[in-house]
Amino acid sequence: MSAPTGGWVGRILRVDLTAGDIYSAATAAYLPDYVGGKGIATRIAWDELAPGTGPYSPENLLMFMTGPFSGTLAPTSGKGTVCSVSPRTLPDPWFTYSGMGGNWTPELKYAGFDGIVVRGAADEPLYLCVQDGRAELRPADDLWGKDVFAVQELLKERHGEAAQVICIGPAGEHRVVSATIHHRQKNCAGMAGFGAVMGAKNLKAIVIRGTGAVQIADPAGFVEACKRVHRLVHAGPTETPVRMKMGPTNIPCAHACPFGCATRSHDVALRLRGGKEKRKNISVMCNGEAYEGGWNWYEYPTPAMEEQYAGELRTRAVEGLGKRGGDELQLLIETLGLSGWSYLTLRCWFLACLDHGVGEIEGLELRPEELDFWLELFRMIAYREGLGDLLADGLLPACDRLELPEVVKKTAHWLEPMWGFPSHRDGRACEPQPSPLWIFDMLHWAIDSRDPLASHHQTGYIHCWFPPHYEGGSPLVDRAKLEATFTRVFGDPGILEPGFAHLDAKTRVTKWFDDRAQIKDSLLLCDWVFPRVLNGFDSAQELEAADDYYGDVDAEASMLAPLTGLDITTADLDLAGERIRNLDRALQIRNSGRSREVDATAEWVFEYPEKSDGTRLDRETFDRILDSYYDQRGWDRKTGWPTRVRLEALGLADVADALELLSETGSSGMGDIRPGPEERE
Amino acid sequence: MPDAKRDASSVVVHKKTLCRACRICELVCSATHDGACSAHLSRIHIVADDFGFSFPATICAQCKSADCYGACPRADRALRIDPDTGTRYIDESECDGCGSCAEACPLPRSPIWSKPAGEAAVFFKCDLCRDIEGGPQCVEMCPWDALVHKQRKQR
Repeated sequence: MSAPTGGWVGRILRVDLTAGDIYSAATAAYLPDYVGGKGIATRIAWDELAPGTGPYSPENLLMFMTGPFSGTLAPTSGKGTVCSVSPRTLPDPWFTYSGMGGNWTPELKYAGFDGIVVRGAADEPLYLCVQDGRAELRPADDLWGKDVFAVQELLKERHGEAAQVICIGPAGEHRVVSATIHHRQKNCAGMAGFGAVMGAKNLKAIVIRGTGAVQIADPAGFVEACKRVHRLVHAGPTETPVRMKMGPTNIPCAHACPFGCATRSHDVALRLRGGKEKRKNISVMCNGEAYEGGWNWYEYPTPAMEEQYAGELRTRAVEGLGKRGGDELQLLIETLGLSGWSYLTLRCWFLACLDHGVGEIEGLELRPEELDFWLELFRMIAYREGLGDLLADGLLPACDRLELPEVVKKTAHWLEPMWGFPSHRDGRACEPQPSPLWIFDMLHWAIDSRDPLASHHQTGYIHCWFPPHYEGGSPLVDRAKLEATFTRVFGDPGILEPGFAHLDAKTRVTKWFDDRAQIKDSLLLCDWVFPRVLNGFDSAQELEAADDYYGDVDAEASMLAPLTGLDITTADLDLAGERIRNLDRALQIRNSGRSREVDATAEWVFEYPEKSDGTRLDRETFDRILDSYYDQRGWDRKTGWPTRVRLEALGLADVADALELLSETGSSGMGDIRPGPEERE
Repeated sequence: MPDAKRDASSVVVHKKTLCRACRICELVCSATHDGACSAHLSRIHIVADDFGFSFPATICAQCKSADCYGACPRADRALRIDPDTGTRYIDESECDGCGSCAEACPLPRSPIWSKPAGEAAVFFKCDLCRDIEGGPQCVEMCPWDALVHKQRKQR
């Protein structure tokens, strides 16, 4: 394939903090097979990240990646991805990913880099400054200890208002496993605890200033394709089938996003630093509503269902903290550089503690209805004081070390059921997800390395489209037309049927969504928005007049080909997605002992009934579904390892060799691992 | 030679309280005019204060006085006024890069910027997409209706 003439800017920045060494290497070595973003990061990890590398080891790689779309007109392309070994994942720390919106990732492209790979750890606090093809490490003694807003403000004063900054707060410095890498406000790589990895490397911030451009191979063709896709995605997929015009309070979270899907903004007087009163706007993501109250995900719809289904695990509804209190707590959590999800699970868990007679832990009286309790608790977590020190290692590890009634510990597991991440879209502890949608999500959970946001946001979107005989379905949707659409895309309308019939069709679709998720995280595009299986309509009349509800599953390739000048089709992208997933799987196997046995630990949650339709699973059915899914993937039913045949078909013969060596000798084959690319500048 | 004061132009007007700072306008502008995406090649700049509720923009006001037009020192004028539409624009192939137009601009933040062109630099500004079918691309693509193409009669 000829060289691309647009999209990628050509170099990946390499920073060794131990040696103070900075150089760059060509992106071309990874193209077009690994696309960008998570794809390239996973290949680098496969080549250079040895098994047993812990999250805080200097040898851990912390990778900040862009994709070919970053910095361009492609809708929602402001997203970037961070990949590393996470301190948060359970049962062991392993390699995973975390997305982030904003303007930092495009700025990195404008500065001439497709990504930054950080290795090593500095002796003293440092920050990295990248400006138009050049990079240097600077002392960060004056930044250490400061919160994420103070750091951004200081660095913008120093490097100009147009500089884009990511940084960690006190939580990252103290290696809290829910510490974020923060950018602007509410933009963060938040779920995987990469803030703690950055803290362990003594890297406080990365400042980018770029005045370059992302070249386009065929500008007219690219602009035309982008215009078409912008029209297609103009309303967010969190919407019901009929688009609603977003209000002016929705500020999109990422560069080039044509809507602000689940964000809202509050105009609040905020106390920032030293009691200085400033009137500022705070944006609130979808989970932010839980802070205010009136939206409790973690309960069954009726008390009877609670009793029947969740039984002793039930969590009761709580009053929120109100608009003002909710905003104040969210702002504090953000300021400290912590993930806001923690409040959602901790809130339910503390109420369960009270219900089971635990009123105090480690000397801290539990008062989860009161704002000052939360403000103090999150400060204690960020600075690792008292109970906060335990919770800073994660809710489940804290439970392991505390003497608590079993039911309280089990409730914690119920709230963070798989890999140490909060319940989401599984249809049990979190939002409803009627059959068969939760089956897709169960498989995403079973094979992913974290909560599978990129793949299961799509299932949530399809849920919005479900016809009215489903709980929460839309009265406007015609089932026949929806089936026609799924037949057109997937060749089988049976995937819409509740239950386990048409199982192979359902697992095939699950695989397709998961492959597309890898592509989204590599191009990079928003996981709420792509792929466009279904369209959005401007009015109920338009919806009614449509023959079917098809969107455009070729949207990504239709923009990528004119951008890069490469002859890339949807089939190529699907294959690349599958390649990235299989490489990720091989990495999980080689570095973290991933196997069918590990995947199957996700099963227990799904033995509880789905919260809107009561459908549930038993072990035998789970095994049948997993068999079918492995068959679709070309993975061995017994081990869950990718087969040589499939790996070779994906151009991963070297990976097949490595897995064979691993299975025969137990050796990772990484004895003569090269520390970085040979070609360097 | 057209009379600058008489020949009013249409203009792109930016409404800062509707703007959400997605910066799509900058991207389509640079992609259309320069075949690359970059805020530094765009003829409209959004001031994206992340904590603000409103996002001001810098864009040519196509003002009636056209001080930039008067300031261009070239006899044949690199900064021109379209005799049919009144659009004030720079013919980049004729620009010497002296910057007199940007200095003459009466707006608090000049919407006339320079970019490298070979050894030298040329200045560029909003030309209302005069060569592009469909008119100003930023207006066409703004998802928030924050950009309006105001016709000369409406001014």
